[in-house]
Amino acid sequence: MRKYEVSDSQLISLYKNGNEDAFAELVSRHKNKIFTTIYMIVKDHDLAEDLLQETYVKVVNTVKSGRYNEEGKFLPWVSRIAHNLAIDHFRKAKRYPTIVMEDGSNVFNSLEFSEESIEDRQIKEDTHALLRELIKELPDSQREVLMMRHYMQMSFQEIAEVTDVSINTALGRMRYALINLRKKMDKMNVAYDKNIYPE
Amino acid sequence: MIRTSTQNDLIRYIYQETDTEENIEIQTAAILNGSLAHELHELEQTVKSITAAERVPSESAIDKILSYSKSYDLHSLK
Repeated sequence: MRKYEVSDSQLISLYKNGNEDAFAELVSRHKNKIFTTIYMIVKDHDLAEDLLQETYVKVVNTVKSGRYNEEGKFLPWVSRIAHNLAIDHFRKAKRYPTIVMEDGSNVFNSLEFSEESIEDRQIKEDTHALLRELIKELPDSQREVLMMRHYMQMSFQEIAEVTDVSINTALGRMRYALINLRKKMDKMNVAYDKNIYPE
Repeated sequence: MIRTSTQNDLIRYIYQETDTEENIEIQTAAILNGSLAHELHELEQTVKSITAAERVPSESAIDKILSYSKSYDLHSLK
């Protein structure tokens, strides 16, 4: 978990005053989490990128027109927009997520892992893809809390309120989600390789 | 046997929802209790794995978002 010197709230204030660098920092800071939130639903890289852009079009329109509510936290708000757009996509298309093959590496992954061999990079990407599949296999209640806390950055208190359970139940579900994932990883021989998951 | 409340506190600790006092309590407890320390380590590793498995959007997708923001005033004047 990273702590930033300049908070999201401060960046939003700067952005409201026309500072585009502040917006670039906000986008950069959260792009992976929001993109993964969408990707976990639609399972298609190109479609997920389209929905990511659509998400930020709504963000830009809301903030620049002065309709952004300062009371909420930025990332949970953006994540909810992204989540709703991804769900809406399937409602409009009148279909549900089906098994789609992973679409391989992308430009950023290639740059990020440029010093690794092609084989190492493939192993890493395969491992990550497997872990995302394992997350999807979790019981609904556990996956829901994991997605809300890890990707949407909602607090456990907020999750408890949204899902209408006690905070201890939300925490317990998260704990079991992590334990179950760990067991599944052990079973599938997904090791805690420091080359794959650096400290 | 580790109490459930302590186990739930580990989750709050990992996701930085504990205060300074609680952090010290959990860190001290982990030093004194090997099984608690082990569970904390395993949970932290799992969370790191999930973070590492996040997907990355392309640079061009991000550029389009930033361009849209920069040209917002032009869009809104249409």
